[in-house]
Amino acid sequence: MKKQVRFVLRHVILLLLAVFWLVPIVWLVATSFSGYKGINTAHFFPETWSFDNYLALFLRPDSVVQYKAWFMNTLVIAIFTCIISTIFVLMVAYTMSCLRFKGRKGLMSFGIILNMFPGVLSMIAVYFILKSLGLTNSHVGMIIVYSAASGLGYLIAKGFMDTISISLREAAWLEGASEAKIFWKIILPLSKPIIVYTVISSFLVPWGDFVFAKLILNSGISADWTVAIGLYNMLNKSLINKYFSIFCAGGVVVSIPISILFVIMQKFYVEGITGGSVKG
Amino acid sequence: MKNKLNSIGNYFKDFGTALAKGDIWVKLSLVWMGAGYAARKQIINAVIMTLLEAVFVIMCVFYAAPNLAKFGTLGTVQFEQVFDPLTLTSTVNDYDNSFLILLNSIIALFLIVVFILVYISNIKTVYNLQKRKEAGKHINTFREDVRAMFNERFHITLLTLPCIGIILMNVLPILVLIAIAFTNYDQQHMPPSALFTWVGWTNFKSLFTNSTTITFGYSFGKVLIWTLEWAVLATFTTYIGGILLAKFINNKATKWPKFWRTLFIIAIAVPQFVTLLLVRNFFADSGIVNTICANIGLTDFLKKIGLVGSNLTYIPFLTNPTWAKVMIVLINIWVGVPYQMLIATGVLMNIPEDQIESARIDGANSFQIFVKITMPYMLFVTGPSLITDFVKNINNFNVIYLLTQDVYVTSDQMLANSNAKEIDLLVTWLFRLTNEYYNYKMASVIGICVFIICAAFTLITFTRTIKGDKEDQFR
Repeated sequence: MKKQVRFVLRHVILLLLAVFWLVPIVWLVATSFSGYKGINTAHFFPETWSFDNYLALFLRPDSVVQYKAWFMNTLVIAIFTCIISTIFVLMVAYTMSCLRFKGRKGLMSFGIILNMFPGVLSMIAVYFILKSLGLTNSHVGMIIVYSAASGLGYLIAKGFMDTISISLREAAWLEGASEAKIFWKIILPLSKPIIVYTVISSFLVPWGDFVFAKLILNSGISADWTVAIGLYNMLNKSLINKYFSIFCAGGVVVSIPISILFVIMQKFYVEGITGGSVKG
Repeated sequence: MKNKLNSIGNYFKDFGTALAKGDIWVKLSLVWMGAGYAARKQIINAVIMTLLEAVFVIMCVFYAAPNLAKFGTLGTVQFEQVFDPLTLTSTVNDYDNSFLILLNSIIALFLIVVFILVYISNIKTVYNLQKRKEAGKHINTFREDVRAMFNERFHITLLTLPCIGIILMNVLPILVLIAIAFTNYDQQHMPPSALFTWVGWTNFKSLFTNSTTITFGYSFGKVLIWTLEWAVLATFTTYIGGILLAKFINNKATKWPKFWRTLFIIAIAVPQFVTLLLVRNFFADSGIVNTICANIGLTDFLKKIGLVGSNLTYIPFLTNPTWAKVMIVLINIWVGVPYQMLIATGVLMNIPEDQIESARIDGANSFQIFVKITMPYMLFVTGPSLITDFVKNINNFNVIYLLTQDVYVTSDQMLANSNAKEIDLLVTWLFRLTNEYYNYKMASVIGICVFIICAAFTLITFTRTIKGDKEDQFR
């Protein structure tokens, strides 16, 4: 009897916690189907339901809402960022993990300290450097901002490669394989979980960042924006009462692909981290 | 430290010996960098070095020299515009842009330093070639040199591009930031219409001054204390919360653990800027939560016990300093616990089961097991990432900015004078100083402070993991 009470109690607590965690998400989805465009402050669920906000997103672009354009911009930036970042991260991680050369430890510590330097701090200088290169208000500039320094984020991938047995590489050396060949043929195929993790996490960066996007895509032409600044802009004091439910719809739409990728990434992330920690 | 000095000493000593003992071709390399290679029939190397030298000289004359000449003053010619009423056009004089002079000078100095390093190593390489030749050893052809780039020198091939990216987007901005901290670059001195110049340590002094006109000292103290409080609170609440939640879900008595885990993951899979902006409106002064609280009488109850000011008709979730701080920490728990839960789940699964079993047989209760076995194991595995989280929280821009921007107004005049707010972290304060008030000089000084704090914490953890040579130990 006591056991049953505990069993029920345990699940009631979990249910309460889950409700607490999901309330904002439910509100997001519910409001996105609201017939009223502003913030409904009187009721949790909308009084009238409609699908109109989603139609407004995709079928009726105006000076504020250019959702299709934003989505495509972000997608293009994300794909290029993802390719460049992944290549950089893997190159640095392999070098630091598997190759031995003079100054390796110095470079590693230097990289870790630099990586601690938050991007927000150096924003102004980044902006002017891009401006002098003529890359503000361009998506190439955004890709450079997101991916150029990505090599600094090598630590997790390195930790994973550290766990790959050295005997595999020794065997390859004995057979006369070059370092480049070992990298391609042995280390990369074995690093699949961490590659997936790197690919997805770098793909997600442009979808979540609005600080740099706001700074660099500052022309005011909304068709050039990314999803993050576009949505942020809708919550402007002058716009929020007309666009809040459309903002929610936009939030839901962008969340769907991102949640899927996120769930996949988390699995590999935990695998990569714990894979390292079991042996280390 | 002594080792480092020694290696620097050796670096120059090698250069000296190369010069002293080198033959005519090595000495000629001082002037014509390709000479040594040409003499050993490495024609392609010779051409490359010659071109490099030529490009560098051109860069010096047309780029470095004009900028560096003005580096001391950061420009003297004020921007002037003359409107010609006859042609209806305005002509602009050949003015100095202080920022561009600063930026270009730093780039030029950087290139010069790099060139000097290349120059010195060039002499050494040429001397080595001479020694190989004298010893009758094989001298690499160009093709063999290229092949070496994929073998014993593979690290150079791999690191070149990432390093260029890091220098461009990370090192260079940091150098510019440090330089700006020593200038008077602010709203009154904005290029191109105005010049700015060097002011020495003035900005650093005003960061620690507290007078009737300058309140940066007061604000810096307040913001720094809250930043550290926040970082400690945010790190530990989410860490402990994540472990407890993971334990709770993984417990054998819990049905459908996967289902519960997924529910919590859904909450964090939505991009942070969406959820945080949403939550901000959720808890707004006239928002839905306040309506509900008023309806169920919570607002009146809180008024009675004095938690809400008697002149308010709402709960100031994000507009009163104390309420806002508590709410920010709570919302951060909401954001952070599921992440930590995921990581903790992975680690907990690896805890040696036999230890827990034998403790149970010895009569330990679950609380004792948690404190004596689970926690020490968790701390051992996730300890380093705990410090990383702490540093990330010091710079947790998103949570604070998205929750309070446009919502929170400070009533503290001293803080307002230096454009700070009670709930600001150093980074958000810095962001506002640059983006809204164009006070680049003070923002740079604060940026340097943040960097020093973060670097100190990072170094404490990572010198141990890197220097300990742990990486080879477990292979």
